[in-house]
Amino acid sequence: MSAQQPVLQLQNLTRVHGAGATEVHALRGIDLAVYPGELVAVMGPSGSGKSTLLTIAGGLDTPTSGRVIVEDTDITAASVKELAALRRRSIGYVFQDYNLIPALTAAENVALPRELDGTSARKARVEALKALEEMGLGHLADRFPDEMSGGQQQRVAIARALVGDRRLVLADEPTGALDSETGESVLALLRSRCDAGAAGVLVTHEPRFAAWADRVVFLRDGAIVDQTVRSEADSLLSGQVAEA
Amino acid sequence: MKTWFHSWRAAIRIARRDAWRSKGRSALVLAMIALPILGVSALDLTLRSSELSPAERADRTIGAADARFSDPTYGGVPIFQDPVGDMNTPAKDYGDTAWPSGPTDVSKAIPAGATVLTDTSGSAKLTTAHGLLSTDVRELKAADPVARGIMTLLEGRYPEKNDEVIATSHFLEASGLSIGSTLSARNFDRPYRIVGAYEIPDALKADQVNALPGAFHVPYAKAVAKAGLQPPGATTTYLVRKSGGFTWNMVKEINTKGVVVTSRAVLLDPPADSEVPLYQKDGWGNFESSAAGNAAELAALGTVVGLAMLEICLLAGPAFAVGARRSRRQLGLVGANGGARSHIRAIVLSGGLVIGVAAAVTGTVLALILTLALQPVLEETMGQRFGAFDVRPLELLGIALLAVLTGLLAAIVPAVTASRQTVLASLTGRRGIRRSSRVLPLIGLTAVLIGGAIALFGSMVSEQFIVVAGGSAIAELGVVAMTPALVGLFGRTGRWLPLSPRLALRDAVRNRGRTAPAVAAVLAAVAGTVAVSTYMASTEAQYEAEYEARLPYGAVSAFVMEEGGRDVPAVREALQRHFPVDVRADVERVSVGKPGCEPWSSEAGCGRYEVVIPPGNECPLYVSVPGGGDPSEKFTPEQRRKLLTDDWRCNETGSNGVIYVDGGLMVGDAKLLEVLGIKDAGAEKALAEGKIVSFSRTQIDKNGAIGIRQITDVAAADKASEEGRPAPGKVSSIPAYRVPGDPKTYGLQALMTPATAKAAGLSTVPLGAYASTDRMPESEARQKLDGEFNKLGSNVEFHLEEGFVNENSIILLALAIFAGLVTIGAAGIATGLAQADAEADLKTLAAVGAPPRVRRTLSGFQCGVVAAMGVVLGSAAGLLPAMGLRLTDERERIRYHEQSVAEGWSTDLTPPDLPIVIPWETLAGLLVAVPLGAALLAALVTRSRGALARREAT
Repeated sequence: MSAQQPVLQLQNLTRVHGAGATEVHALRGIDLAVYPGELVAVMGPSGSGKSTLLTIAGGLDTPTSGRVIVEDTDITAASVKELAALRRRSIGYVFQDYNLIPALTAAENVALPRELDGTSARKARVEALKALEEMGLGHLADRFPDEMSGGQQQRVAIARALVGDRRLVLADEPTGALDSETGESVLALLRSRCDAGAAGVLVTHEPRFAAWADRVVFLRDGAIVDQTVRSEADSLLSGQVAEA
Repeated sequence: MKTWFHSWRAAIRIARRDAWRSKGRSALVLAMIALPILGVSALDLTLRSSELSPAERADRTIGAADARFSDPTYGGVPIFQDPVGDMNTPAKDYGDTAWPSGPTDVSKAIPAGATVLTDTSGSAKLTTAHGLLSTDVRELKAADPVARGIMTLLEGRYPEKNDEVIATSHFLEASGLSIGSTLSARNFDRPYRIVGAYEIPDALKADQVNALPGAFHVPYAKAVAKAGLQPPGATTTYLVRKSGGFTWNMVKEINTKGVVVTSRAVLLDPPADSEVPLYQKDGWGNFESSAAGNAAELAALGTVVGLAMLEICLLAGPAFAVGARRSRRQLGLVGANGGARSHIRAIVLSGGLVIGVAAAVTGTVLALILTLALQPVLEETMGQRFGAFDVRPLELLGIALLAVLTGLLAAIVPAVTASRQTVLASLTGRRGIRRSSRVLPLIGLTAVLIGGAIALFGSMVSEQFIVVAGGSAIAELGVVAMTPALVGLFGRTGRWLPLSPRLALRDAVRNRGRTAPAVAAVLAAVAGTVAVSTYMASTEAQYEAEYEARLPYGAVSAFVMEEGGRDVPAVREALQRHFPVDVRADVERVSVGKPGCEPWSSEAGCGRYEVVIPPGNECPLYVSVPGGGDPSEKFTPEQRRKLLTDDWRCNETGSNGVIYVDGGLMVGDAKLLEVLGIKDAGAEKALAEGKIVSFSRTQIDKNGAIGIRQITDVAAADKASEEGRPAPGKVSSIPAYRVPGDPKTYGLQALMTPATAKAAGLSTVPLGAYASTDRMPESEARQKLDGEFNKLGSNVEFHLEEGFVNENSIILLALAIFAGLVTIGAAGIATGLAQADAEADLKTLAAVGAPPRVRRTLSGFQCGVVAAMGVVLGSAAGLLPAMGLRLTDERERIRYHEQSVAEGWSTDLTPPDLPIVIPWETLAGLLVAVPLGAALLAALVTRSRGALARREAT
């Protein structure tokens, strides 16, 4: 696994909000690498910097210092336009809720990044249908978001995050608005995509869902305080649960 | 190119579905854009369809003939005519000498071997179910193939016998007759049976009756002459058919025989202007295609279209901004999925594109359907049948493109604003404070200063209306650009307000991006309204000040000049019956020649009278000069001014009344003085003594008498007048009594009793009556009297003195309502936008314990704040141009007045005073009622409970 190039590399990443008296250190010197086929869970209490880490990793926010490298590209040096292109081609996002554009059907939502990239509508649709089929969601293709359950919407969002050649999916509490059973099914899908070669970063505060990850990174006050590999994850998590 | 195209397709898809999802807002914007498009397209269709092609025009004017020959009555001298045959003049210049006059023998000009159909027209008073109707009677053999196209038979058949006629449907409606009825004319005992109904495609409202050639006019004229009345004239034109038709050269050849030709060949293929001798003559040029005039028209049209589009953009813009704000998270998601700024812009712009295209299609289709469906109504209103339903795709497309353009323009600002938001801010719903541009207010200020300077220059130095208007328009656009900065100024007043208004004001000021367009929309509408209202109110005040009553308040007059006053007794009786008459004074007029003659008639057997102005009493400025010429030319301007101010012969005030007989001379009794409110014991005594009562010093000669000349040879009198000699005729001299002082006489200058007239050898005929009333007659009484007069068939000259009547108040009210609606609309849209924005604030407010009504009051105040800011700024921006225009008017009037006095044209020496009146009622309505109404409306339609707070992604 380590012989491969990481899909996402965070190097000495810091993010400071405000200045002077109102200065807040959201991230302090984070180093993290995520490899193809790997699902990394990021955990931590509220305000520990989980979401900031994810937004910076996806180029939605810029770090105060440090570097973010996605598939050999240093995105901290990229322009707004290049960042948008990166999100179309390399990085997929899944949010807690309202992930899908209500005006578009499932297939059109999945096809959106490809269409924005200039692929013809027909070709983009074929790719989208293929992605949906692969994830067992083909029957949802022509439904609008308000005709789908929350779990179905999240699974379509994962399909969109990985359509085309994208290999990095950043998921910010994707199960937060779902019941636990549906949440499990969403995580199962994410897991299977990573097993198929994608790299995933999952922000969650539920140990149950973190258990699907290969590695769990704990954040507190903007710094990584602990991280496990998968084999250790279960025992560590059970300890966490006992503590809570 | 390919990339661009595909990403736009996605953007349009999102925009289209979004538009469909928020149907209410989309419909509102669509209606706003589509309505003007509908109006303009329908207008285009109507105008184009009613515009006839040369062939259609030829069919309607000359039927199936090749030409219509008509007599310009120049006695057969060579003439010049325009290609259509509407204008003509003798080829030779006659200047001040007598012009040739008399009938031309048209038949001599008709080429041998041609088929000819005569078309004779004249008027007659026909008997109807209600009374008499003055109607055009035409003698054209309508069934002849040559006449085909001139009239359309609707019902029945064409006349076949001399006692049969057909009538236009409009005549049948107006007369209460129908097919099968008989009609005749006054003074004529021959009945005609109506056998058909027809219409004239070019004149649907014409009252016309058609008889066979020779069947009506000749016997009618004989009968009228037998009754001692003046027979009505009838003119005949000739429809000519000849193989090969008439080319322009042939027309010019026929012109040399003094005949006008309307030729089909020339209509279809008109000659160049250089080949038309008429256009080469001084003052007869072809004015139709003046490049400067066209450019000015185009500029005016462009300005109106531009301002209308600006107004629509200002109104629709915030609606797109609401859309963009409401779907902020959706736009954020697009950003998260790789949508660049250009994609976000494309999505919001697509919203404008989608609505614009929908509005274009809706407007154009509705215009087509409405014009087609309403074609009969439109034709009736215009009084003319369409040629063919003429659809000009390019013009309609152009108009429709304006809709698309308007939609796109309206969405530009919201699109740019939306695309500037960072993806993160969109996703988390964070509201950054958006600074308003610092450059825009500066540009605005510059425009205000430059525009103001131009308008000031226009009103103070130049007299060009267009300069003032243009300057004002630039200044107003400047104010629109300054709106964001001005809105900021309003924010300072917030400190002293209670919670809801303070919150509303602060919110409006902090979010200028959405407040400014709405305020600007209100501003533009209100400024226009205030400008027009102020201008109109000022003009009206001026008219009121200048208004001169033609009779004492509440008094009436009714005169009949025709047929020797035959209908006068009926008029007097009707007046007495329908009006609350207090005193009625019956009047007669002096007549010369046959009693049936109309005044000023030059028919054989008719004459006229004139009140002699003794030579020494004539104003030197107006005295007739032997051989003609302008008598005032020998005086310097200073001398002219002096004559006008100081010489009694020149400064006798002109008459403004209802009298149209020579010398203001009436034949009546002392009751007339009573009706006119003239109190003079001497006058009544003088009337009784057989004297003529005079109100004019210039008419009385040295012996204290007034001379009345009876002219029986009209031609000799005209010739004498041209040569500056007194007219020949017997003068009766009547001793006069001059009323002392200068009472207001409403045009009456001399009055004598019928007995006095008779004694002086003058014959009189009834003219009509004056009457004073107890109270102002009601509308119902006026309508009844009108109806009665119409049935007489005589032209009754009627006047009721109502004082100054304000005619513009309806327009002012309509303008105020229009501005009010725009204000409420714009303020409402801005409120919707504010509500979409304020959701988070409202949640916080509710969380800290604010009662639910705060939501209502807040939205009410938000709406009120926008409306108030708009009307305050708009009123200020509108008053200025109106004042500027009034000042320009005043300068122009003063200059003209000075010139008139200097040239001796005017005896009125008071310089004109053009008041500037501010329409306080309209302003009060706009400044107080409209914002209040808008606020209440917004408060009423806002739900007091908000939607449940939903969790936002963090």
